[in-house]
Amino acid sequence: MEYTQAEILQTVRMTEMEHLDVRTVTLGLSLRDCACASIEETAARIGEKIERTAARLVTTVDEIGDEIGLRIANKRISITPVSLIAGGAHSVGDYVTLAHAIDEAAKRVGVDFVGGYSALVHKGITRGESLFLDSIPEALATTERLCASVNAATTRAGINMDVVRRVGEIIKDAAERTRDRGGIACAKFVCFANAVEDNPFMAGAFHGVGEGEAVINVGVSGPGVVNHALRHAPKDLPLHEMAELIKKLSFKLARAGELVGREAARRLGLQFGIIDLSLAPTPVLGDSVGEIIEAFGFERAGAPGTTAALALLTDAVKKGGAMASSAVGGMSGAFIPVSEDAAMIDAVRVGALTIEKLEAWTSVCSVGLDMVAVPGSTPAETIAAIIADEMAIGVVNHKTTAVRIIPVPGREVGDIVEFGGLLGSALVMPVNGFACADFIRRGGRIPAPIHSLRN
Amino acid sequence: MANEELIYRITRAVYGRLGAGADERTVEGLVTDIYRAIEPVAVAASGTTRAESGRAGDGLQSDAGAVPLSAATASREEGSAERMVISVFGVDRPGIVAAVAQILAEAECSIADINQTVVQGKFAMVLIANSARARQSAAELKERFRREGERLGVRIYAQREDLFNAMHRI
Repeated sequence: MEYTQAEILQTVRMTEMEHLDVRTVTLGLSLRDCACASIEETAARIGEKIERTAARLVTTVDEIGDEIGLRIANKRISITPVSLIAGGAHSVGDYVTLAHAIDEAAKRVGVDFVGGYSALVHKGITRGESLFLDSIPEALATTERLCASVNAATTRAGINMDVVRRVGEIIKDAAERTRDRGGIACAKFVCFANAVEDNPFMAGAFHGVGEGEAVINVGVSGPGVVNHALRHAPKDLPLHEMAELIKKLSFKLARAGELVGREAARRLGLQFGIIDLSLAPTPVLGDSVGEIIEAFGFERAGAPGTTAALALLTDAVKKGGAMASSAVGGMSGAFIPVSEDAAMIDAVRVGALTIEKLEAWTSVCSVGLDMVAVPGSTPAETIAAIIADEMAIGVVNHKTTAVRIIPVPGREVGDIVEFGGLLGSALVMPVNGFACADFIRRGGRIPAPIHSLRN
Repeated sequence: MANEELIYRITRAVYGRLGAGADERTVEGLVTDIYRAIEPVAVAASGTTRAESGRAGDGLQSDAGAVPLSAATASREEGSAERMVISVFGVDRPGIVAAVAQILAEAECSIADINQTVVQGKFAMVLIANSARARQSAAELKERFRREGERLGVRIYAQREDLFNAMHRI
């Protein structure tokens, strides 16, 4: 036999018991050739192109999943930032028309999310992009599968604080418009610093301008696998050996994902883009990044020392992935979406995990403050200020950071909000109540840090 | 049978290099030439011995007569998309191997390797099957295994071999 029984058993255990899955196969699609003089024509072309290119996406990917014996949880599409292709858009309503056209096309091809209702406004903003920002709340509230994002900062450009201020208002508005559903529109919106162009994960995926016509990007996940291994490691195993363990596992996860991605690309006649190896939790018990952190030797996620553990985890995941494939991209690391992770929710409930600790985590995890629910009464300026902090961490540390925050209308600290499905259930977290509005109202730009001058 | 298998594999390899749009007659010519060049070696290697060979791909492109080529060995190194690893776990009882083999036979899949143990009443079997000429889709086969597994009280998993190769071989 070419494989030992232990090897075969390990793979079967990972796929069948430890929730190893390909979290998403995301078709990155350029829509730059769809911009026309009138909004109706642009919308029609966008719809047509999505349907034409993605027609076989879902069936093909499901077939591959069946053959390889690996669950492929989601099939998604990321598109060119809509603000760049909105030919003929002269009003908020025009942008919303596009949003609906995209959403309907996504529904017709059967994908669960389409990302790229986005604007890259980290330095300046055009008239069109300004209208676009205004359209985000309505677009998200009146569509089902559309995800939006705004890149408000880069290490090279600094932080566009005018945009950050407006994003605070956008989030409040979007929450209010979906009041009856716990403000779910905000779960489909991300504000980025240093957004990546080939991210396959939602809600922040878009198809960057440096990308080709159409590519297949794959997001692999497997917190359950890492969790299982760490929990079965000896209690006194030194940390560098824990890192070694994670590295080896993430190598295997990345390899499995690459296999799926290349096969999908081949069958669809598209280019293979990247694999994003990110430990992304689901609400399922055991499939949790919080539990992985606790397995290092903590009573709860959020205890002192957990930032260090998360740093080790993120780095080891990246190293294993980099060894496995030369097409590693996207975020690649560990996600910390609070509502989607049972152990983190639990840690919030007992007071071990706070927004401030999460903020510290984001300086070493692969993205940022994710799926954090706060009271609906939180002022827009406070939300903007939380975003500003997060942007600063990303800009200064040359990393991607993001905020996906939900000010749940009518809910207070300690309330539980059900979002359902992969989004899980969120516990409303307390926010530092001291005022920051004067800072936010200044607007302007936080200049790029000195290390942006590298040429 | 072994020759048919080899010709099929060569054809696949040629299409793999030239793309699906390659001219049929060119492919046929190439396959015939390659097969003729290696025929004596192929016949010798089709026995039970597993000759070591160079990397897959190299074999078909270089002077074939000089390479002890075994297409089956070459593909084994890469992990084949046409082979399935079927793993069966559960409580031992008579007829498990027979049932799995029956399903494979009906689907026109041949068994390439099989390894079965029973430890303290726990049954574990790993079987590598060649599905190159399978009559049923992966989904259909899996459904049959699932139903049969339920009947026998065991879990049967079927996964493509290249997954294992990807995960466990550098």
